[in-house]
Amino acid sequence: MASEAGDNAKNLWQNQPVEPAQISLAELHEKAQKLERRVRRRNLREYAAGAIAIAGYGYYIWKFPTPIIRLGCVLVIAGVLFVVYMLHKRGHARAVPAEMAFRSSLDFYRHELERQRDLLRSVWTWYLLPFVPGLIIFGLGLFLRTMKQPNAPAHARLIVISFSLTAAFVALVFIVIGKLNQRGARKLQRKIDALDSLEKES
Amino acid sequence: MTVESIPTAVSRQDELYQEAADSYGAALERLARGYEADPDRRRDLVQEIHLALWQSFGGFDARCSLRTWVYRVAHNVAASHVIHEHRMNSRTLVGLEVLETLPTGNDGERVADQHHALEKLLKLIQQLNPLDRQVILSYLEDLDAASIGEITGISPGNVATKIHRIKNVLAHRFHEGGSHGK
Repeated sequence: MASEAGDNAKNLWQNQPVEPAQISLAELHEKAQKLERRVRRRNLREYAAGAIAIAGYGYYIWKFPTPIIRLGCVLVIAGVLFVVYMLHKRGHARAVPAEMAFRSSLDFYRHELERQRDLLRSVWTWYLLPFVPGLIIFGLGLFLRTMKQPNAPAHARLIVISFSLTAAFVALVFIVIGKLNQRGARKLQRKIDALDSLEKES
Repeated sequence: MTVESIPTAVSRQDELYQEAADSYGAALERLARGYEADPDRRRDLVQEIHLALWQSFGGFDARCSLRTWVYRVAHNVAASHVIHEHRMNSRTLVGLEVLETLPTGNDGERVADQHHALEKLLKLIQQLNPLDRQVILSYLEDLDAASIGEITGISPGNVATKIHRIKNVLAHRFHEGGSHGK
């Protein structure tokens, strides 16, 4: 009964009406070029976002003469440069089509899961952490500068509360992003474990 | 650079692609059906597979047969598509062993017409995780255990176990036998 069901399903599957896609070589060449252009545009967008952030903090360096704020700005700019470099590096780490044929599905599937797991797991270290020292020092510099204003003592409490709330909010956003990514990484790890046990059975 | 100026340099790549598209075009279309239910996204997936195939032939070194090469690239592109879609909509995918134990519900009803049977079969395939999906799709294309093992990287013994499970699932879900396949 099981074999008959299998044969019937094969028959049904292979005889389903399909219209193979008619894609000409010229279309493929064009698509390949479009894809390259899209990757180039994505890279340019990343560099542009980095350049805008650098210009913004560069302006702060010029605007605020306080050394501590300037130090914060320099560290944020360093963080931006590091993140842009990592995005660029990771963009190049994607599988190329010929590699797909060299790897068996099991190997490729695991590789893709591991790649995505590592990306999620390391979000804290390469995407969030590089900004932390700069933002802390920048925030501290702004706080100290505000406290030095002539009318600050009268509003000291309000200033402290405002800065604390802002810092807590930024910290919360960072922690939530980090936790969500960690959860995603754990889910992917469970799938990798399932593949490992499949391989052990093999 | 214009499109017309490329061909001579990549003619071998073009020839291989053309051969693959002619021989496996329909199979690739069926494969995409097993991975993507939405017609528009499926069309995109088919194009993505064809593009990846053409690009891959730039590095074809005949270390495996053309068929294995084509199926590996196609399944791997489709698996990436499933992983991406799965992350976007968090749909739960299961393995064959789970599917084997799931109650069939009203799936056991008599499946008289081919269209309905095919829909049911597709629904069943699309519940599976990418690796088991590759096995069932290759099985349905009538590939033997050794070829499926070569494409997927799963040992032939394990492929045989999975095929056994596939047959059981099919027998339970399409219990009236020959009616849908004829």
